Amino acid sequence: MLGQIADGFLVLAQPATFLYLLGGFLLGLLFGAIPGLTATLAIALLLPFTFGMEVTEALVMVAGIYMAGIYAGSITGITLNIPGAPSGAITTIDGHALMKRGEGTQALGMSALASSIGGVIGAVVLIGLAQPVSSLALLFQTPDKFSLVLLAVVTVTIVASGSLLKAMLAMAIGLMISTVGIDPMVPQGRFDFNSFHLIEGISLLPAVIGLFAVSELIAQTAIPAKLGHASAVAKIANPRRWDFLPSRERLGLVRPFTYVKSAVIGVVIGMLPGGGASMASFIAYAEAKRSARAPEKFGDGSYEGLAASESANNAMCGGAVIPLLTMGIPGDAVTAVIFGVLLIHGLVPGPALLGENFAVIAPMFAALFTASILVFLSVLIFGPFYLRLSQINRGLLYAFIAMISMVGVYASSFSYFQMWMALAIGILAFLMRRFGYPVVPALMGVILGPYLEEFLRRSLIVSDGDPMVFLTSPASAALLALTVLFVWLLRVRPARRGRLSKEDAA
Amino acid sequence: MTRLLNGQILFALGLAFLNTVYASQLLEMGRPFASGEPGPSFLPAILCGFVYIAIACILIGEIRRRPEDRDTATESDTVPMIGMVGPIIAIGLTCLFIVGFFYVGYLVSAGLYAFLITLYFNYEQNGTWTRSLLIALVTSVALTLFGWLFFVKLFDLYLPIWEL
Repeated sequence: MLGQIADGFLVLAQPATFLYLLGGFLLGLLFGAIPGLTATLAIALLLPFTFGMEVTEALVMVAGIYMAGIYAGSITGITLNIPGAPSGAITTIDGHALMKRGEGTQALGMSALASSIGGVIGAVVLIGLAQPVSSLALLFQTPDKFSLVLLAVVTVTIVASGSLLKAMLAMAIGLMISTVGIDPMVPQGRFDFNSFHLIEGISLLPAVIGLFAVSELIAQTAIPAKLGHASAVAKIANPRRWDFLPSRERLGLVRPFTYVKSAVIGVVIGMLPGGGASMASFIAYAEAKRSARAPEKFGDGSYEGLAASESANNAMCGGAVIPLLTMGIPGDAVTAVIFGVLLIHGLVPGPALLGENFAVIAPMFAALFTASILVFLSVLIFGPFYLRLSQINRGLLYAFIAMISMVGVYASSFSYFQMWMALAIGILAFLMRRFGYPVVPALMGVILGPYLEEFLRRSLIVSDGDPMVFLTSPASAALLALTVLFVWLLRVRPARRGRLSKEDAA
Repeated sequence: MTRLLNGQILFALGLAFLNTVYASQLLEMGRPFASGEPGPSFLPAILCGFVYIAIACILIGEIRRRPEDRDTATESDTVPMIGMVGPIIAIGLTCLFIVGFFYVGYLVSAGLYAFLITLYFNYEQNGTWTRSLLIALVTSVALTLFGWLFFVKLFDLYLPIWEL
């Protein structure tokens, strides 16, 4: 395996492949830093271009976007008190307090350093654990696979914010979209309304573009610029690049163990379905505060707090990729779209992926590792520009998103019908967002629907229609128990606690 | 809007309509266990039933909800009723872009699309036509050129460049 990882680094060292990493990294920085734009949207926009790339190049670029996008959420959080992404929310507390004290450049430097350390640790854990976990998952039978997909479907639904019922309905809509076209087991068309376009089914690309890019464009046209933050100006004197290098005095304020502990927390949370960067940074921050020498400084410009949250959210990237590649469970929106990138290139995330395609995936591991190092270098190169990033013209941004996404759908399918489909799904997604229905479960439904249906029907055929087959298989029963546990931990218990605290307050 | 006809309720009713259209196709697929095994209509039938139940719960919850819980609209200084007008403009322009892409090709349709989207956002933000038009013109030329370079030249993907 180490040889294949080394080969992955060699592939990445080729100038063309490395340029893809740099391109993805810069795109991730831009989208992560601008409030309203996300790494998920950046990867969704990249999808059409990946048709013209080798799968390795596409994955390398995605890794660059992912790492940079998660890091960049803290940039406008520190400079403007507006996190570019939810993952930067906790960093904003101490980062912006430092900015107000005139230590903005040092805060940005420390944030980049901690993100780099966390990202590297996350990538190393990914490299070490991916294949053992994958080997274990290879033992799964069909009922186990159904329970695994069900676990992914349920967890993505329950971690969505807002109404659980609406999240379940969004998931059902996604699953329904996935049923359009030829039945996966018998040669029979479904929900095609006698249209030769629909008989082929609704492909992933218009679904992703519609759910994320088109709906974002429509949503932004409904928001006045004065409520957006793109025009906010960072009031800071012109800094030099070396001002962003954390000074020895500031480095001494953060114990080395804080970086490592926070990174481990980030990796573990990343591995849990529904964990995500925000949760990783919150928990690492809370733990750093609990064990800090000066916890009273947390919230008032603590470098240790800043380092803990940033180290954790970038370490999460490596952790989140483990369940995606080894078991086919995307834990959040970004990994769900990465799932789509893999599928478009004929790679099915799951137990067999690494066994059969490790050489193809290894450069992605190398890219996550290298992108982590680029994070720190980026602040030294682009630091002064970060302070002006939020001033990019809103019209330019959304015209870019609109044009690239719609032209991209055509360029990758040569089909006007798919452009109409992307628009229709975009309108539906916009209305869902407006009325509080999360769109990520819908995307997961579209992606996982065919697998859920096939494994469910195959299991029932093998067992002569007896649903107990899902409980008699030990792995399946364990996965179902895990599903119930996640429902308890992530939905039932918090709801009960909320109710009890309300009653106490009353 | 009246209490019984707010956006939430209309959207839920819209979903119920789409679900009914979906359900109408189930009848053509036969019963889920017609051959003794779960057939093509098995999962869709479960989903259809679930969606009806979920929509009913949402409708009941919405009707019971107090009026003060409802969303409030945001206002713009330049675009009246932006919450409704903005999305209609975006959807309308995207429809025109797709039609234009078919009849006149990439260069004209993408250029116009980028121009009008940029113009909308800039006019909404600063309220001045001259400045907005200038920014939109420069942006649309740059974006159209960028798209052509990226899709056609760099990634070797086909686009109908000029159909006039």
